[in-house]
Parts: sequence; structure tokens; C-alpha cells
Amino acid sequence: MRDLKKVIAVILLIVSFFIIYFLQSNFFTWFTISKVQPNLFVIFILFVGLFTGKKLGLILGIIFGFYLDVVIGRQIGVSGIMLGIIGLAGEYLDKNFSKESKITIILMIIGSTLIYEIGSYVFSLITLDINIEILSFMKILFIETLYNVIITIIIYPLIQKLGHLLEEIFKTRNILTRYF
Amino acid sequence: MNRNKKSGIIGIIITVIILVILVVFTNSNVNQVSFVENIFNVLVMPVQNGFTYLKNKISGNDSYFADMDTLKQENEELKQKNSELEQSLRELEIIKAENETLKEYVNLKDKYADYNTIPADVINRDISNYSSTVVINVGTDDGIKEGMTVIADSGLVGHIVSATSNTAKVQTIVDTASAVTSTISTTDDTIVVQGTLDDKTALKATFIPTDAVVLQGDSVETSGIGGIYPKGIHIGTIREVVNTNNITDRYAIVDTAVDFTKLNTVLVITNSVDE
Repeated sequence: MRDLKKVIAVILLIVSFFIIYFLQSNFFTWFTISKVQPNLFVIFILFVGLFTGKKLGLILGIIFGFYLDVVIGRQIGVSGIMLGIIGLAGEYLDKNFSKESKITIILMIIGSTLIYEIGSYVFSLITLDINIEILSFMKILFIETLYNVIITIIIYPLIQKLGHLLEEIFKTRNILTRYF
Repeated sequence: MNRNKKSGIIGIIITVIILVILVVFTNSNVNQVSFVENIFNVLVMPVQNGFTYLKNKISGNDSYFADMDTLKQENEELKQKNSELEQSLRELEIIKAENETLKEYVNLKDKYADYNTIPADVINRDISNYSSTVVINVGTDDGIKEGMTVIADSGLVGHIVSATSNTAKVQTIVDTASAVTSTISTTDDTIVVQGTLDDKTALKATFIPTDAVVLQGDSVETSGIGGIYPKGIHIGTIREVVNTNNITDRYAIVDTAVDFTKLNTVLVITNSVDE
């Protein structure tokens, strides 16, 4: 019964990914802050890592990232690696900080967005022949992080509810909530 | 508990409102401001016109008694000028018609008539803020290969970086990893135009020869050097030349001919540069 629940949950996560992908490639291409889009994939994978554990976070992060790279990315593997790292980091963050605090979740989102985008940009600088534009990059990164934070604040109740449902399915041990 | 829930909902509503305001304000352009200005103009202008009419009436009272002979003479002169202007207008209309014909000769469709092209639709756009690639609905089954040039009606779009059986990924010229060797059409000087993070509708032109005279409005075309893009495809026009202390570092901002935000249909050139 538990395994069936797990399978259904994974299928729903995959469906959610495609809904997020649709939003990111349509709605958020024009609903921007100063022409900058948010990065919903970072929020999604961190959410998966936090509430389901590092295994699923890592696997889904790599698969979804790889899919993004193949479909629209410039280099194969960058998004896969970076989203995988965020999925993996989810469980470690869960063990050290409380998910029940909105502030902690926001700080996690800020950290994850920064890690993902800086990592991807450095990788692009190394592998592609592109000019270094630190100021422009920082400006976009700041707006993108802010946008991710705003979205997190809006969907926080949803994150909490769905997160706890996932936690019940995937995490067998009772984890005592530790406050930050 | 209930109070906490209530304040939470209020917090979310406020955040949504802030987000919408941010999106609207940061994406609004001058035209929208002008729209508001127009509304005010519509309200204020009739009153202003009325006052101006009255002022002119009062201040122009002394000219009412002007000499009638002078007025008649002026009227004759004006009639003469009018007929001359009508003649000039007819001549201009002929020149305009000739100009239209010449424009048709240099129309982009004629310009690209030498190339074999395959039409395609843009089916996917980049979801990242740091790159600019698009996916089109033609692939290897249609004869698409890596490196082929992609154009739109108004100019260069980019080139194919990878292709599947029925889709192809196009790296646009506004992508930060794109660099196109091009020429300034008026002077034939060779420059390199690159995509920037700052603006997805403009390119940065670098390696401008020190003796080159670059002017605002100059057209930029592909040079044919580099082996990817054929020669003579329109890229854009120079918006601004930025001079630096060292003349070798000066650069120009080039407005792309293609509007990448509204790019829906493209043409893929299937014959290579040499063919």
C-alpha cells in the first residue's frame, strides 16, 4: 500500500514538473520583474529534497535538469548537476533547520537560487566562449532571487500542506522538528 | 490560531499585490505613460485652445484694419506659391513612386532569393534569464543540419546547434555565447557582434577598427567570415557608439532587426555558404 502511494506521489511530482515547465515557458516569459523570470525549478526541487529525502531529490533533480538541458539548454548536464545538488542538499537542510519556519524556507530558497545560478554561470564561463558580465549577472540574479522569494511566500501554505503529505509517504522515521 | 490563519492570508494577498505592481511597473514602457498623458491632453486641450483663441483675438485687433491693397497683393503671391508647391508635390509623388519600386528591388525576400529555405515555427523558448535559444518544428527529417543559418523576414536569427528528427535547437544571435563576424554596410569595416546579458534586443559590437567611422543608424550585416553565416544578411542598425579612453576598446550597441520577443516564424537556409 505504501509502495503504491509512493508510485502515485512520484507520478504526481512528474506531472507537477510539466505544469511548472509550462508556466515557466509561457506565463513567466511575460509576467516578469524587469524582464527577469523566476526559477520555479529550483523551488520545486528544493521542495522535493526537503520533504521526500535526498534520494528522490537527487534523482528527480538530475532527471528534470537533464530534460531541461536536452530540450532547451545550451549545454547538456549543467542543469542536471545543479538541480541534483539542490535535491541532495534538501535533506541536509531538513536535518539542520526547521521547515516549519517561513523565514528558514525563504533563506533556503535564496541559498539554492544563488548556488544554482552561480554554478550554472561559472560552468558556462568555463565551457562556452562568453564575456564575463559580472554586474549584469548580479543584477539579474538579485531580481530572480527576489522573485523566487515572493513566489515562495505566496505558495508557502501549499508547500507546507503538500510537503507534509509527501513526508508521511516517503519518510518512515519520525523526525523531531528542530527550530533554527 | 484563526487569527494567525487570517493574517497569513492577508500576508499572501499583500505579497501578490506587490508582485503584480512590480511586474506592471518594471515592464511598463514610455507608450503607456504617453497614453496617460494623452488622456490629460484630451481633457485640458479644449480649454487651452479656447484661451489661446481669445488671446490671439485680443492681441490681433490692430491688424484688423490692415490695408486692403496689401492683402490683395499678398493673396496673389500666395496663389502663385501654392501652384508652385503643387507642382513640387507632383514631382515628389513621382520620386516617391520610384523610391517604392527601388525598395522592392532590395526587398529582403529578393535578397534571400538565392538561398533555399525551409519555413518553420518557433515551438519553444529558453526558460533561463542567462541564455537565448529557441526550438523550431523542423528537424533532420526535413533536411536540417547542425550549423545551418536561421533567418526571419527582417534579418538574422541565429544558427542550428542541434537537431532531432522533427525539432531543431537554434542559438540566437542575442545569446551571450553567440559572436557573429559582421560588416558595417556603409564603410565595409569588419566588427564582431555579441549577445549580452543586459538586453535581449540588442548586441554589443566590438573589435571596431580604430580608423573606422561608425555612425548611429548604420546598418550591420553578416560578413560571411567564419563559415556559419552567409554574407550580406541584415543583423540590425547601430543605436549608439560608446567611446572609451582607449579607442581600441570602443564599442557600439546594435539594435537587432529581428524582434526576438515576438519571433514566431523563421526560415532555415539549407544551402551552405559555399554553395
